Amino acid sequence: MARLIINCRQAHWLLSRQRDVPLRWTERLALRIHLRVCDWCRIVERNFAFLSRAARRLDS
Amino acid sequence: MGRAHPGSAQEIADLRPTLLRLARLQLRNQAWAEDAVSETLVAAMEGLAAFDGRSQIRTWVVGILKHKIIDQFRRRSREVALEAQHEISEGDGLEQLFDDSGHRASAPLDWGDPETAFARGEFFAILQACIDQLPAPLGRIFLLREWLEFDTAQICKEMKLTSTNCFVMLYRARVRLRECLDRNWFAGQGGRQNG
Repeated sequence: MARLIINCRQAHWLLSRQRDVPLRWTERLALRIHLRVCDWCRIVERNFAFLSRAARRLDS
Repeated sequence: MGRAHPGSAQEIADLRPTLLRLARLQLRNQAWAEDAVSETLVAAMEGLAAFDGRSQIRTWVVGILKHKIIDQFRRRSREVALEAQHEISEGDGLEQLFDDSGHRASAPLDWGDPETAFARGEFFAILQACIDQLPAPLGRIFLLREWLEFDTAQICKEMKLTSTNCFVMLYRARVRLRECLDRNWFAGQGGRQNG
């Protein structure tokens, strides 16, 4: 059974994986619940998006 | 030489250091990088007559380099796959990042607006240093995904990894890069402490 309450470690894992593959709906829900209460993981979500954008610009 | 500007050949030759830097960062092997760059320069010189001038020479040549890098990965796939397997068997090195209950031990920095960071010359130098500090398999997979923009299924197949192991490597790479940039760039550049 998928758990809906996850910790930061699990949230980091899903924040990374969602950049590579669509998450299952239970994972999406668990992540959304976690991000609502965790400022730090919301920052990490933006950091990961930032990293993708930066990597694409490495050759410019 | 068709419509190409007479200075174009020199412009291509002058790109060599840039191409080598990118190839080394992605391939993590000096000899492979030099092969990829030599092949790129030859292909660019030969293709110059057909270059339509609609894009910048630099963009066009970097496009060729990306293909030559991918060729190198195909040729060296055995060794690349072995190194990736080895990396998977290592620990993730992220023990200090989370406490026993899986919560972050310290606050991440808010990096603010990407364009502001990109506008500063040192940003990309520090990003490259951080990528270079990753174990080679993690640096390779991160750039295959985020610079060459391969989809994960293709990367896993080329590296002969299960999809889970592929995601694990990308996770390790992103988290370590994030920590590295916190320490080496944003901590001293007005990154705001949050929490």
